[in-house]
This record gives sequence, C-alpha cells and structure tokens, in this order.
Amino acid sequence: MNTYILAIESSCDETSASIIKDGKEEIATVVLSQMDTHANYGGVVPEIASRMHIENITLVIEETLNKAGMTMNDITAIAITYGPGLIGSLLIGLMAAKTLAFTYNKPLIPVHHIAGHIYANNLVQRLEFPLIALVISGGHTDLIYMKEDYSFEKLGGTLDDAVGEAYDKVARVINVPYPGGPLVDKLAHQGEDTYNLPLPLDDDSYNFSFSGLKSAVINLVHNETQRGNEIIPENMATSFQNRVVEILTKKTMKALKEHNVKNLIVAGGVAANKGLRERLTNECEKNNINLIIPEIKYCTDNAAMIGAAGYYAYKLGRRADLNLNAKASDKLH
Amino acid sequence: MKYLFIDSATATLVVAIIIDGEITYLYNQETGKDMSSKIMPVIEEAFQKTNLTPQDIDKIFVANGPGSFTGIRVGLTVAKTMAWSLNIKIIPVSSLEVIASTPNNKNNIALIDARRGYVFAGIYDNNLNVIEEDKHILLDDINAEGTYVSYDDFNGLKPQIDILKVIKKHEHELGENPHSVNPKYLKLTEAEENLNKK
Repeated sequence: MNTYILAIESSCDETSASIIKDGKEEIATVVLSQMDTHANYGGVVPEIASRMHIENITLVIEETLNKAGMTMNDITAIAITYGPGLIGSLLIGLMAAKTLAFTYNKPLIPVHHIAGHIYANNLVQRLEFPLIALVISGGHTDLIYMKEDYSFEKLGGTLDDAVGEAYDKVARVINVPYPGGPLVDKLAHQGEDTYNLPLPLDDDSYNFSFSGLKSAVINLVHNETQRGNEIIPENMATSFQNRVVEILTKKTMKALKEHNVKNLIVAGGVAANKGLRERLTNECEKNNINLIIPEIKYCTDNAAMIGAAGYYAYKLGRRADLNLNAKASDKLH
Repeated sequence: MKYLFIDSATATLVVAIIIDGEITYLYNQETGKDMSSKIMPVIEEAFQKTNLTPQDIDKIFVANGPGSFTGIRVGLTVAKTMAWSLNIKIIPVSSLEVIASTPNNKNNIALIDARRGYVFAGIYDNNLNVIEEDKHILLDDINAEGTYVSYDDFNGLKPQIDILKVIKKHEHELGENPHSVNPKYLKLTEAEENLNKK
C-alpha cells in the first residue's frame, strides 16, 4: 500500500502544503510566498508573517488536496515543520497540522526544517548513503554526514553568521535591495575578482565563519568611500562570492575525502547560488563524486521537502503528541 | 445542535462543548504561555468526555480577538482548520464580548491589557448588546459608565464568563466561511505603523 504524507511548512515567510507519495513522488504542492510584502520592510517582519500565514493556511491546504484530487481520508499521516524558524509563523502550520491529525485520527510526524531541506534531494533522486550534506541557508551553514536515512552527524557548522546572512548583509553594504542573496549572485557573474578579501576560517576544521569576511567587505567599502574612491558593486560581489564558494567547496571536498564518501547533496536556500552550483559541479566531476543539487524550486522553503523527510521519519516510527510545540531552534536529529 | 467553543485570546484558555443549549464540557483555566501545547490535548479531552467526534459538530464558535496576537491565532487556526475540513461554518465572537458576559447589573467595560497604557476595550450591556465597539485605546481615554471586567489588573470584576449567553446571542447567525474568518487585532503591527509614518 502506498503512503501519502500531507506536509505543512510555515517556518518563515512561505505558507506551503504538499502531498508526497512514498517519500519520493510529489503529487501536489502549493507554496504561497510573502516575499513581496516583506520586501517593503527590507526583511521578514515576524508579526506580519504570522498574520499572513493564518489568512492563507486553510486555502493552501485545500488547494493542495484539490490539485491532488484527494481528500483527508486518502492521507496516511501528517508531517509538520515544528522548527527551527519563527515561532509565530511555525505555530500556524503546527496548529493546522495538529487539528487535522486529531480530526482525522492520523499520525502526526514532527519534521526538523533542515531534515526537510536535505530530503528535498530525495525528490530529485533517491539518496544514496553514506553521503555528505552541505546545508546552506539564511540560518544554517552545516556539513552533515549521513550513514543511512535519518541519521544526521554534524561534522561542523558556522561559528557566527550563516552564509545566507552574510550575503544579505553584504548586499546592504553595496546597496543591493532585499532579498540580497540572489542579486549578489547575479552581480558576481558580471564582475571581476579585484578586491583583496580574506579566505575565511581556512583551517583543518569543518567549521565556517563568515563574520570576518563580512566585516572585511564593510571596512573596505568604508575606507574606499573615505578616500573618495567608488566601489564597483559587481567586482565586490565577485570577490566576496569567490571567497565564500572557495571555502565552502574546500571544506566540503575535504569532508568527502576524509570520510571516503562518494555522494554529496547540497540543500537550503543558498543551494540556488549559481556560482556555488558551477564550482561544486566541476569539483565533483573531477573527483568522481555523485552530486545532487535540487532544482531551485526545492531549494527555497516548501512543504514537499517536509513530506519527503516526513515519510522516512514515519517509517522509523517517529510520532508527535497533540501537545507538540513549535521550537525557534533545535538540534537536527 | 452541537457546538465547539474556543477562546484563546487571553492567558485564560476556554474550550467548551455545547449540546442542545447545555454545556456538557468546559475547560476554563489560566494557561499563559502554554496555550499552543495545551489547546489540542484539551480539545481532545472535550471530545472524549462527551463521546463526540469532531464530525458531530454543527458549528464552531471562536473568539477571534482582540487580545494576544499569538493567542488569537492559536485558537483561530484550530477553528478554521477543523471547520474548513468538516465543511461547517464558524461564528466568530469578540473576545471582549466573552469577558463581558460576566453577570453584572451595570454595563460591563471589558478590558484586555495592550501594554504601554493601552487596552483593548469594549462596552456591553447585560444582554451583550454593544454599547461601544471594541477598540484599541488609552485606558485613560475611556470615559463611560460601567464596571471594568478583566483578567488583568484594572481594579474591577474578574471575569465569570457565561458561555451560553454568548452562544444564544449568536447561534442564529448564518456563520462564516472558515477561509474568510480572520483575527480582529484592532492594531497594526509596529512595522506597518512605522512604514505609514514615513
């Protein structure tokens, strides 16, 4: 018998629901992004995000069921992002999921948002183990070793800013509007690497640090402006992005080599970064590594990935009670 | 008729099941910050103790504000999701009106603390007729005859809510499509206020 997971995700500024068959096949997904609204404020405003989630949550779930041509009776279990994320935002999806689980007497499966990002790749191609996962987003920069489904061993992570955060801050300094990340990536493809920026935390660990690199950009822009020199945003974007891509690639390739792993997956919003995609694709080809980077639509927040992860959590017998609460932060497990 | 009643707009969580004009289950306790983890187990208990399932419910009454923004959303998300999925209507009621159902021989001035000297206030007579619409106002600017009723400290009556009075007042309304029932915050977010100032 097939397993149909209804998944709900509302951890930040996307209201999303999805139905996933057997962890691999996307039956229907609806993603409602609030990005245009938050752009007016230069970033996500948590209270506004919560207000928009509650206005849309039932519409999004209904549309998902309609697209799939299914009813709640066809659903095997309900998977929900319980964290990490914005508490007020998480709570809307969580309350809706708990209500459906109770009303229809279905199992409730708690899913960590990052497990979702990792399993987005399972919708592209069945994951092969062991693997290394590079998780890069606005809130995360982690290298994770997985020896089998749903086993997450963190090798290292950022000591300060997440890579996406660094992108957004650098974007502000060189006057690129919100959301900065994708636009800096675009500029980086038009410029040249002319600015002398350091390679951040270039050591033997699997940890990352981006605050120093970010400060270097801020200082350089400040000093050049003081001297009356104009900053060339394209070149600054290229120089910054080259360092980021360099260190991410270097430590990822090291993790693969030292753990004798032949499978790499990249997950999270920054996985959409073209510069990084190109570089990793090259390196993996050279080293015979099987690389999966999801399509852009699976890199940003969506419920399909939660449904994919939820299926494997379900298979492992993971269940939550109706008192499940949202968590702003939580270790991936 | 069988109704589910939910009010999570203040620190006091109220869940009730009403069958043919009688309260057959009532939870009415201060829950504070545990609202989001507490509410579903309470609702589960409500159905267990009354031997009902959600599918037996004809309408859901829910307090959709004003009050704690998160609190309102917790209860209202439950109501919207259940009502939409069961294809039944929601009757939204004011959380101030619920407080104002407290017995009194004068008008009730229902108050919820909104911080920095502000309150959410609504004035109701003993039959829950609206004397003054719910609003977000400085406490000092309230100038009306009546008794303060609030869970918060305003030197007035503590609420002793009469859910049946609220139900009777509204049960003949048609109710609303769950998709379109949304919180009545009565206050913009700070970010919106700041943007409007510019």
